[in-house]
Amino acid sequence: MKYMSLLLLFLSLASHAAPDGKALYEEKCSVCHSYRGEGGIGLPLTKEILSQISDDYIGRTIRVGRPGRIMPSFNTLSDAQVGAIIRYIRSWSGKPGPVFKAIKSKGNVARGKPLYKKHCVRCHGQDGSGEGPGTGVTQSRERSFMVMPAALNNPGFQQSASDAMIHDIVLSGRKVGGMPSFKSKLTDQEIADVVAYVRTLEPPAPKQGMEEWRGKPAYIMESPYDFETTVENVKQALTGANFRIFPPRYLEQGLTDEFSVNTRQISIRFCNFKELYHLLNIDPRLGTVLPCRINVIERDGKVLVISANVAQLATLFNNQELSEVGVLMEEIILSVMEEATL
Amino acid sequence: MKKLLAILLILGAGATFANEQNLVMVRSPAKAAHVMDVLKETVLEYGYQTAHVQRCDGGMAEFHYKSDFYRVVFFGKIEEVRAVLQRHPEMSPYLPLKIAVVAENEGTVLASVDPRSLAPMFPDDPELQVQLARWYNDIRAMLNEMRDLKNPK
Repeated sequence: MKYMSLLLLFLSLASHAAPDGKALYEEKCSVCHSYRGEGGIGLPLTKEILSQISDDYIGRTIRVGRPGRIMPSFNTLSDAQVGAIIRYIRSWSGKPGPVFKAIKSKGNVARGKPLYKKHCVRCHGQDGSGEGPGTGVTQSRERSFMVMPAALNNPGFQQSASDAMIHDIVLSGRKVGGMPSFKSKLTDQEIADVVAYVRTLEPPAPKQGMEEWRGKPAYIMESPYDFETTVENVKQALTGANFRIFPPRYLEQGLTDEFSVNTRQISIRFCNFKELYHLLNIDPRLGTVLPCRINVIERDGKVLVISANVAQLATLFNNQELSEVGVLMEEIILSVMEEATL
Repeated sequence: MKKLLAILLILGAGATFANEQNLVMVRSPAKAAHVMDVLKETVLEYGYQTAHVQRCDGGMAEFHYKSDFYRVVFFGKIEEVRAVLQRHPEMSPYLPLKIAVVAENEGTVLASVDPRSLAPMFPDDPELQVQLARWYNDIRAMLNEMRDLKNPK
């Protein structure tokens, strides 16, 4: 009981210490946004961008994130911690952020729709998902601009951005993302109409993996063949599906000496480098689940063919584009496994 | 009581980050090749064995795709891997554990799947839940060491 009291006291003291914005930023944000907002996997927090977004917008963005757009939700941070991170970010320029009125814009959705189609679709997309050209500052990807067109239909954006802030950005443009100013093209009322239409945009329903495998860590099939035949079948099926196969490895290889390795557990690793290159451009963190592999394990007289549930795994990245690839990969991997065990 | 405290601390540490991400990530100011060398030593210091290192950049270069430094380190403890696979062969795609080491500008980004993100798929195995939380704690601690790493002079 004495230990428990000390633990509770320690936790209580820790939670009341004044939060250190720099330390919090470096722990939570720098991995994607870099040390002083240079950007990387995440959006660059340039002076221009910071001068256009309010503290309220940053705070809400930290809390709700961007579902499906990499930025996670940090909803366990306290108000004081979020405030400390914002103050640290603002310290880079020494300037306070803009403050926008919280009043709802009086735009007309019907009038805003054709204006959106005419002026915004090219970069922000028909549905506002922001799949325009450009983007990202990380890895070797080709890019026209440092910043992706915002996903206007993202629930995180919709919850974070006030009407007045969107209005202001349309008015001023955003050089870093190639967005022009619409000051001379649209009247204040027309911009309000566009904002009203933007508020109606909704994200498409996410594609999901097959129901029978949903919520399961792996696809498992029992092979009617012996261990060696099954391994060969998997290799052949992968070759037929245009994958390059690496030399197989025992699952325990490298973890123990060669005489103790279980040789009835093999990992067949495979890759399609063209697809890999494309996927790493979508999300450079993909290496955390590479390479693709199918394991063949013999146990209790059964031969099992096992692969990670890639549709499930892809959802861990909070990247809708990658999640959709995961659903496609699920079909391919399951067809390989079925072919090998038919 | 000590055992209870240990479990509380393991699970408590997990709860702090549970809603933030499913990946454990850090940025290191050191160059990727140096991070890679130190990471392999750190893995050993934490009692793990490096099973092998996958050179993703090499594979892509072979096919004429430009890539920065990109490696994946596989590591584990044989007794833990065997114990988990004995109960759950469906865990085999996730073992050995992995950390991706990716060059980004002058620094390095390290990332690993948070093992605890697999926990909801094994609701009936509290022993595995504790194991996943332990792996998370070790990965987090190793990556924190890389976060503080500087380039050699």
